[in-house]
Amino acid sequence: MTLAQRTLDPRPAHSAPAARPERGHLRLEGVTKRFAGDVNAVSDVNLDLERGKLLGLLGPSGCGKTTTLRMIAGLLPITSGRILVDDDDISLRPPHQRDFGLVFQNYALFPHMTVAENVAFGLDMRRVPKAEARRRVAEALELVRLPGYGERKPREMSGGQQQRVALARALVINPRILLLDEPLSNLDAKLRDEMRREIREIQQRLGITTVFVTHDQVEALTMCDVVGVMSGGRLAQIGTPEDIYERPASLFVADFVGRTNILDCEVLNGHRVRLGDGVYSCAATTIRPGKAKVAIRPHRINLTPHRDRALLSTSTNSAEGRVLRTTYVGDIVQYDIDIGGPTLQVETPTHGRGLAVAVGDKLLCEWRPDDMLVFER
Amino acid sequence: MAVSETSLPLADAPTATARAKVFPVVPVALLAPMMLVNLIAFILPVAQLVRISFLEGSGGVLTDTTTIGNYVDFLTDAYYLSMIWNSVLLAFVVTVLTLLCAYPIAMFLHTVSPRWRNLLFVMTISPLLVSSVVRTYGWMVLLGDQGLVNNMLVGMGLIASPLRLVNNTLGVVIGLVEILMPYMALSLIAGFGRLDASLSEAAASLGAGRLSRFRRVTLPLTLPGVALGCLLCFVLSISSFITPKLLGGGRVFLLATEIYDQAVIQLEWPLAATISVAVLVLFGFALAVYSNVVRRFD
Ligand SMILES: Nc1ncnc2c1ncn2[C@@H]1O[C@H](COP(=O)(O)OP(=O)(O)OP(=O)(O)O)[C@@H](O)[C@H]1O
Ligand SMILES: [Mg+2]
Repeated sequence: MTLAQRTLDPRPAHSAPAARPERGHLRLEGVTKRFAGDVNAVSDVNLDLERGKLLGLLGPSGCGKTTTLRMIAGLLPITSGRILVDDDDISLRPPHQRDFGLVFQNYALFPHMTVAENVAFGLDMRRVPKAEARRRVAEALELVRLPGYGERKPREMSGGQQQRVALARALVINPRILLLDEPLSNLDAKLRDEMRREIREIQQRLGITTVFVTHDQVEALTMCDVVGVMSGGRLAQIGTPEDIYERPASLFVADFVGRTNILDCEVLNGHRVRLGDGVYSCAATTIRPGKAKVAIRPHRINLTPHRDRALLSTSTNSAEGRVLRTTYVGDIVQYDIDIGGPTLQVETPTHGRGLAVAVGDKLLCEWRPDDMLVFER
Repeated sequence: MAVSETSLPLADAPTATARAKVFPVVPVALLAPMMLVNLIAFILPVAQLVRISFLEGSGGVLTDTTTIGNYVDFLTDAYYLSMIWNSVLLAFVVTVLTLLCAYPIAMFLHTVSPRWRNLLFVMTISPLLVSSVVRTYGWMVLLGDQGLVNNMLVGMGLIASPLRLVNNTLGVVIGLVEILMPYMALSLIAGFGRLDASLSEAAASLGAGRLSRFRRVTLPLTLPGVALGCLLCFVLSISSFITPKLLGGGRVFLLATEIYDQAVIQLEWPLAATISVAVLVLFGFALAVYSNVVRRFD
């Protein structure tokens, strides 16, 4: 029904929650959290998030994403550092005075209230007059495409619907900042994809500064203006999705975001490395000669049949290899290719006929030096 | 898709009804022992009780004459009417006080770190390990004129002469509240188990202060536990007779103590049976109120 509505009707105009681009500049300065037991769950996190931007906090389980988000929300006291919103130090302010919208992984809808009562809760707390509250609740429910669901109880809704109610409840109070903790992790792949789009669209339309915690790198790259990759409580890198993917600052980021070949190598000088039997050009590096690691994205490697050798340009790395294994994934085919020592994983899109490759075939792998990144071991 | 949706239930319907008609052997077999015990230890005695309450008797001798005279006597006697009222009032006061004492304990146990929770939980219910008779004697020692409480208060110069803390209704209330607290705490802790900590946090993020969070989220969600604890305490407090007897010093007259006196001392079994049935009716009311509250919140 929602789907039909969406394709048939043009989206109705919403007057509220109104866009508030003039507020919501979030800054974290050296934010640190140490739990009893001397482990730093979060260490020295610095970030500066412009108004209206969507920040994705990405990282493996236990790296401190939730802890960071809870500190921003005020649900956890910070051990040291400062949190500023619009240059206003809110580090010590209790959560109910921060005016942030929060969406939990488990939605945390009040089970004893109807959907409308849930959404109206924040307005009640702000003593918004009944009539206005009713109107804003209806608008918020429309915003998340659940008009007319107000009288239901949360347990009578599907996971995706509950998730949208939680979003409406957080948005209706017109928060300075929206905080989302893995809001999509309980949804199936298709619904998650749909919700990603919806959240991003609502976020952009309202121009609301948002922090979005996820451990799904596709989510982070596709939705966010800025991605912060966390590792062991630290912010390993923060930048645009393109920065993170194309210019990872560390081996960890290269490995965590997107698929990549990580191989042992030996740096010969600032732009050449030895990999197995071959010597290749790499992206400029300041790492001193000696043992190191290189990262090459599998889909940045081009496969050509052996006989086309003459076509090769000199500025491209090329290595002769033997196919060890092929895996058909659907949109791509993965090949494991032995290039005389290390094994490269290569991905090529499947379009129509493609390369007829069998295990044992000899092929030529080519890649640009810029796609060969060198990192400390 | 539409085809399968409409045809599936139709195809399933005959099997479903057929299954429902089969005699549920396993459930009945599993329930049988309990049903037998209940029949012998509960249903039959209660039936017997009801029968005796309709018999005429005098001086410890039961006759075969059926009468409703026992009920008429009981319900027209101002002494017994005030006794019903006193018992209900006392049970009510005890229940409310027990709730007020136990709720913060349950709330604390819910928020305390899991490391301490188990220990504190065991400590909370550990009084159950000691017989309530022993605990009542303990209270007699503590609350007496020369007891610890009075000696301390007099010794500190707060009062000139000992307070009358025992052999009156106050003593009974103090004793019952302490004795019933573990039951209340257990019910409340069960109620708190359903409370997800993130709900309170969500309320906080929406602007609810401590008090609003308690009033709008914590309390409503723990209400089923509160209702259960109150039902238990109310019923246990009306039916308790050792504590009122010992701490009331023979000056507090309640339904339970009266049943005991009539049945064991006066040997007026028909009257004792009649009062017992009246207590059962009271329990029925309490149960009705309880299920009403629970239904509203579930
Ligand atoms: N209350 C706590 N007491 C002690 N340690 C904690 C507490 N909460 C979290 N931690 C620790 O802090 C670290 C970061 O936890 P956090 O929940 O922030 O991880 P996360 O990145 O959100 O992981 P996930 O993706 O699994 O949700 C973990 O090592 C965790 O064990
Ligand atoms: Mg988390």
